[in-house]
Parts: sequence; C-alpha cells; structure tokens
Amino acid sequence: MFAIIAAKDLRVLTRDGRLLWAGGLVVILMLVALAAGWNRQVQLNSERSAGQALDYDAWLHQGYRHPHDAAEQGMHVFKPEPSLAVFDPGIGPFVGSTVWLQAHRQSEVKFRPAQDATGLQRFGELSPAWLLQVLLPLLIIVIGFNSVSDERERGTLRQLLSLGAPARSLLYGKAAALASCVGILIAPVGLAFAVLIVARLPAGERVDVVYRIAWLAAGYGLYLGFFVFLTLAVSALARSSRTSLVLLLGFWVAATLIAPRTASEATNLLHPTPSRLDFDNQLAHDVADAGRKAWSTHFGARTPWDPSVPLSKWGAALKVDDEAGYGALDENFGRLWDTFERQQRAQEWVGLVAPVVALRGFSMGLAGTDFSQHRDFSTAAEAQRRKIQNIVSEDLIEHADRLGNAHFTYKAGPELWATVPQFKYELPSVSFALAHHWASLALLAVMFCLSVALAQFALSRPLMR
Amino acid sequence: MKTMQPRPLSTLSLIVLHEARILVRDRTLLLVCCVLALMVGYGLFVGLAQATLRDRMVAQVLKHQQETQTANSGMLQSVLAGQTALIPFSNPANPAAMAGTLSGRYATMPNAPLAALAIGQSDMMPNYYRITYLSKVQFMYDTEIENPWNLLSGHFDLAFVIVFVLPLLVTTLGYNLLSAEREHGTLRMLCSQPLSIATLMTGKVIVRMLALLAIAIPVPLVVLLLIRPEARGAEQLVLMLSWSALVAAYTLSWFAVAALVNTVGLSSSTNALIMVALWTILVLILPVTMNLAVGLVSPAPSRTELANRTRVATAESLREYEDLYSADYRYASDPEALLVKNERIEVPSRMRAFFLAKQKVDERIEPLLKHFDQQLLQQQKLVDRLSLLSPAMLVNEALTSIAGTDSRRFLAFKDQTEAFHKEWRQYFSPRILESRAMTMRDLSSLPRWHWIEMPGSEIRWSIWWRAILMLALASVLGGLALARSSRRSIE
Repeated sequence: MFAIIAAKDLRVLTRDGRLLWAGGLVVILMLVALAAGWNRQVQLNSERSAGQALDYDAWLHQGYRHPHDAAEQGMHVFKPEPSLAVFDPGIGPFVGSTVWLQAHRQSEVKFRPAQDATGLQRFGELSPAWLLQVLLPLLIIVIGFNSVSDERERGTLRQLLSLGAPARSLLYGKAAALASCVGILIAPVGLAFAVLIVARLPAGERVDVVYRIAWLAAGYGLYLGFFVFLTLAVSALARSSRTSLVLLLGFWVAATLIAPRTASEATNLLHPTPSRLDFDNQLAHDVADAGRKAWSTHFGARTPWDPSVPLSKWGAALKVDDEAGYGALDENFGRLWDTFERQQRAQEWVGLVAPVVALRGFSMGLAGTDFSQHRDFSTAAEAQRRKIQNIVSEDLIEHADRLGNAHFTYKAGPELWATVPQFKYELPSVSFALAHHWASLALLAVMFCLSVALAQFALSRPLMR
Repeated sequence: MKTMQPRPLSTLSLIVLHEARILVRDRTLLLVCCVLALMVGYGLFVGLAQATLRDRMVAQVLKHQQETQTANSGMLQSVLAGQTALIPFSNPANPAAMAGTLSGRYATMPNAPLAALAIGQSDMMPNYYRITYLSKVQFMYDTEIENPWNLLSGHFDLAFVIVFVLPLLVTTLGYNLLSAEREHGTLRMLCSQPLSIATLMTGKVIVRMLALLAIAIPVPLVVLLLIRPEARGAEQLVLMLSWSALVAAYTLSWFAVAALVNTVGLSSSTNALIMVALWTILVLILPVTMNLAVGLVSPAPSRTELANRTRVATAESLREYEDLYSADYRYASDPEALLVKNERIEVPSRMRAFFLAKQKVDERIEPLLKHFDQQLLQQQKLVDRLSLLSPAMLVNEALTSIAGTDSRRFLAFKDQTEAFHKEWRQYFSPRILESRAMTMRDLSSLPRWHWIEMPGSEIRWSIWWRAILMLALASVLGGLALARSSRRSIE
C-alpha cells in the first residue's frame, strides 16, 4: 500500500506544473551557484598559495638587514579556503583572509570581501547552502501543502480510506513522494559535485572531506525531512488547502527570514559586542599597563622606552615589552571572540522554533567556514607572528645589544631568516567541527522527530471531518 | 445602508466603508496591523540603537582628540621650557613623533540625520579613522567590530521591514481580493449591483493600503522628529517626504500586483502561490543573483595581489632608506640631543626613515588602491542599473541613501580621509626633513578635519527618480489590473 501511495503521489507531483517550474529554477540556481563558487575558489586558492610561497621566498632572500626592520616588513599569511566553501561560504564574505604579521601589532585578519562589494551583498550570497536552507523548504511547502487536504476536498480520501489503507502507509507514502521530488532535484547535482570535489583533492585530505559531506547530508536530510513532515501534518490538520498554505507560508517566512535576524539582534542585547573604539581603548590601556609593570620589574624604569634604559639593553627590552603585551592581547581578543561564540551559542536555541538557525551553524561548521575555524586560523597566525618576534628579539640580545649606540647598525643575514619556519596551516579536522556543532545536529534530530510525531498525530485523527 | 443612493463616488466610499467594517470584524486587518506596528517599532529601535552607538563613538573620538591636543600642548610647553625629561618617541617638539604616535587626529563622519531609518553598511564600515603617517594599508582597512555571523544574518532594521516584510503583509491582505468573494459566492451578487469590478477592487485596495501606510509611514517619522532634533531641518523634511513617497509607491505596486493576479480568475490558493513566487523571485532570488553578477562583471581586484605589492613596496622602501634605518642611535644615552635649539630639533634618523618609508609605500601602491575604489564605484553604477529589475533592490538603494548609510557615502568618506591623510603628511614632511621643531603656534595650526557632506541635490535626485519610477510601475500595474477587470469576465 505504501509503495502504491508513494508512486501515485509522485506521479501526480511530477505531472503538476509547480514542481517543474519551481524545481527547474532551483536546479538552475544551484548550478549557477556551484559554478561561480567553484571558479572563485580555484582562483583564490591558486593565488593564495602562490602568494604565500612568494612571500616566504622574499623573507628568506631579503638580504642583510636589522632584524627589527625585517619584522617591519613582516610576513603575509593567507587563509586557505576549505574545499567545501563552494557549498557553504559561511561567514567567509564577512571575515578577511589575509594577515600581515608585523612587529608590535596583533595580527588582524583583514580584507573582508564584503568591503569590496556594494550594499547588494547584504541581501545574501547565492550559494548551494542558501538554496537548500531557504528555497527548498519553500518548494516542499509549495508542492506539498495540499497533499492531504486536496484528497479530502476532492473526496478521494474517503475512497482511499474505504479501501482500508492504514494511516501510517498514507503518511509515509506521501512523505516518500515529497522526499523523492526533492531528491530528484538535488541528488544528481549533489552527487556529481561531491565526486568532483573529492576527486580533486590530494589523497590525504579525502577521508576528512568525505566524512564532512556525509555529516552535511545527514544534517540537511533532517532539516528537509522536518519540512516534509511538517507540511503533511499541517495539510492534514488544516480545515482547507488555503488555510494549510497560509499557515505553512507564514511559518516559512517567520522561521527562515525573520527568526535569524531577530535572533542575532536579541543575542546582541544579551551579550553586547563592544564598539571598535571601546575595544581599542581597552586593549591599548591593558597593553600599556602590562608594559609599565614589566618595564619597572625588569629595568626599574617608570615608562616604556625610558631614557634610563640604555640602548645596550634594547633587544632585551623589546622582548620584555612584546611579551608583556601578549597577555593583554590574548585576554582582549579572547574576550571578544568568546562574546561572538556565546552570541552564536545563544542563537542556537532559536533553532527550536526556527531550525534554519541550527542548520546554518552546523552547515558552516562542517563546511569549515564558521567562526570557530576562523578563530583557529587567527590564533595560528598570531602564534607565527610571536615566533618571528621571539627569534628577532633573541638575535638582537645576542648580537645588537653588544653594539651600544650602534645598535641599529647590526645586520642579520639569511641564516637568521631561515630559522623562521614557513607558515603551514592545516585546516582543523571534521572532529573539531563536530565537537563545536553536535548540539545543532541533535537539535535538528529532535525537531525532525517532533515533526514526524506531529504528522503521525495529524493523520491518526479521524481524517473525515 | 438603505439611506445611501448610488452615485459614482459614493459607490467607492460605500465599498471602502463596507470593506473596513468587514476587515475590522474578522480581525485580519487588526492582526496584520499589529504585526506591522510591532515590526516597525522594533526595526526603528534597532536603527536608533545603532545610530546612537555611532554618535557616541564620534563624540568619544572627538573628546579623545581634544584631550590629546591639550596634553600635547602642555607637554610641549614644558619641553620648550626645559622642564621635562625627554623620551625619544613621545617628544611633542619632534615633528616625526607628532605626526605619528602623538597625533590625536581623527577623521570622522557624523551620522546623517535620518540614519536610524536604515543600517545599511554602517555596521561594517568605519565612521572614523585615526590619522597618523602610517601607510594606508595599515589603517584604511580596519572595520567596525561586529560578529560576522550577525553581519551574515543581517539586521532587523526598518529597511528590512519595508523591503522584505511589507510586501508579505500586502500579500496576506490582498491575495484573495476577488477570489474570496468568488469562493464565498458573493461576487455574483456584487456583479448584479450597479458597480464595476474596478471600483470594487479600488475600494478594497484603498482600505488595506491606508491601514498599512497609516502605521508604516507616520510612526517612524514622528518618533524621529521627537527624539532626534537634527531630523527637524527643512532639508530633512524633504527627505522624509521622499521616504514616504517611496514607501507608499512600493506598497502600492505590491497591491497592484495582487490586484492584477486576482483579475486572472484563479483560486485563492493559486493566487497566494503566485504572489509568494513573485516575492521570492523579486526580493530573494534576483538580488542575490545580481550580487553574483555584479561580482563577475566588475570584479574587485585581488587582495592577494595587494598583499604582494605591499610587501614588495615595503621591502623597496626599507632598502631605499637603509642608511637612515641603521644610523647610530644615541638619544637613549644622550637625551640632551633631543633638546630644541633655535627652533631646530634633531629628528632621530630612524623616525625620519619610518616617515619616509611609509610615504613611499603609499606612493607605490596608490594606483592599486585607487583601482579598488574605482571598481567599487563601477559596481555601484552597475547596481543602479540592475536595480531596475527588482523593486526590492531599487527601494533598498534609495532607503539607504536617505539614511546616509549607503556605500557611496562611505566611499566619499574614505576618499576625503585619504586626502586629509595626504595633507597631514605634507604638513609634516618639510618639518621632518628640515628638522624644524614644533612650536606652540604649529600645534594650533595642525591640519583640521572637515567632513564635506555629499551634495544634497545628488542624493535628492537619486532618491526621487527611484520614487517616481516606483510610482510609475505601480500605476502601470494598477492600470493593467483595472483594465483587465473591466474588460474580462472574471467569474
């Protein structure tokens, strides 16, 4: 009975114009999004790896130079694009990808693509993830809102029930039909894309990406499944097809469009983000404080770079000054980033009414484009900067401090530059992402189960009212 | 009811009255208006909070500037009088220190008076820059701090309520203008009266539209007039008028679409589906697709390339001023060397090198930086043209330019800041090169920042043509709907 119902419904849906038009549009958009994302990624990755190599080469061959001046030129490091960023660019457009590691300054990741774009960027980014998160639920609603109510209105439900079709078969048959419509649209594109991505990767990274894709499939499956069962439940519960449509569309608008914005405004009130000015002032204050303390304990000086500290101690002083700042930097940036993460965790609870919020976090996490993975990169870049800084200071203590007033005539050579290792950053593995986002997945699973239960309840009630 | 005689105009007013009564009784209108009022209120609150935050930042920056200036002049006085021990990097008599670490100068852009109406780009682009001799790459790319997740979600501001939500509320009220009458069996009855369908539809739309606009337009404007005194000028009133025209035209055109859809004679469900499909295409899909298209047609230059060029330029300037960088540095052991003699001061050669090197870096990467800005302007022009495709894009552009939070204004700010940065360097350049000590007079004649607002006529023009275009669109669609309803049988 289940198979018959599913086959009949699928036939009805495929013959209906709604699936053809809406589905066709979604597939075209998906292909466009994939092509554009792919193109961008190939270009960015080749540019960045070339840039990175050039930069390190320039560092090694910078000739003879005072080490502090070398740290002035510094080093650029670029964030590699995770391969699944094509699928979900996540926060990518709103965070930078380039860090200039220089002396004295916490390296900030700069150059957000959104800065080089117009206000249109704020409408959103056309990505496969966006299509699956926003448009596919709408498609499910549009093709499924009347799947039960229409049978009732036409009187075919009465006939169906008279044949002794169990409610369970009816529910799962209809669900299977709806799900296969969605499947027909996205599975071929998705599969081809997955194979292409995995095939392009070096063998070592393949397993990780395959795991990621599998988890993503699970997450999106639960999300779309939630909408399938919700649609059926509402269609069975509502008095008419019209009511069912209005209710479902209302939910879709509220859940995918309004909830994410409201959630981010609300968590901003709960855990306020400091303004740049406040943040900079606090940071400068803390760094100066730490600096003063360090200078007075190490050199008995009242202020940093006090005239009482002779030039023969400047290498040592540089080290003391830098190291004093590390604590303040870690604390301030740590606090800011913790705020961001707290805001996001608080928003995940909104997933209980609007599953798109939970899914979005999960999807970005698994695609490698969420904030925790951006933070991981920023931390690695800062560690590299400190490495350079320490090597430079040690070398100054050893060589330049002996020269007294001729401190700045000291020049280090290629041997010193070669002691700074090349910046090698490995993207965190899938377990890192899962550790951060398992709660979202659990939430999606709960929502899915709830929607199945609701649909079962809706179809187990007397259907002929 | 029976006292009224059917005259042409009074038929319309009769329908309006009748519709109003029905809508009030079945509570739909009340519900929709409450939802709208809540959203408008919340959107305005978010916008006001953001505007206040930005105001506070500018005020703090200016205060900080004032304090630094006072501290600098106090310090300079005591240095000139020989009362203070000299610290090489923080000696205000030294022009290189004054141009760099001691400079308390900021370039600031105040909020436009109507900033609370749309957040636009203001949560991302900075509204102040700290001006020193540092290279542009070092300070021009700082952005406002905001959780990237929130930037991605977008803000719940008034522009969002108008561009995204208002059409949906119009749909809720208007998807079954005629179809409901038909489904209830009352359309037949109405057609038997001396009443044209066009009049019927006009009456229905008038009630619904007035109800929505009575909340969407006056509430924000009155609140703004009450709590932001700077919004009370004549120019601002004209802007508010254009804002109202824009919102009214946008609402009207969605109602016209609803009316047009209703004249086709399909069922209510189908009408709702068509309306939502149109909304999805015009408000969701077209803008993101156009964003992609703009990026493809007129791509921003590569930031990686900028990083590479910066490195090369920095390396070159380090090499060029190598002698200055590595000169003996005796000021720590001999602070007397930093004393002002005959209005001259020895600028430590390393500091001179810093100044010159940064200047060189900027000169070298200037063309590439210019290219970024040009490309952004190019993109903006493209957006102006493409926005003709979707009323949502058109209105969004206009709303942000009324609020002064559009990319153009931020780009103008960046431009002016660059010019000021140049002026700042030019002021110090001869002093540093000729070792001229800073005097009290110099301190009061440092270059001052003045924000030059974008020409009002340009903004007004860019807003009005959009408003007029929206009105034209609304009247074409409305005219079509009326023509169809009078010519065709819609039973």
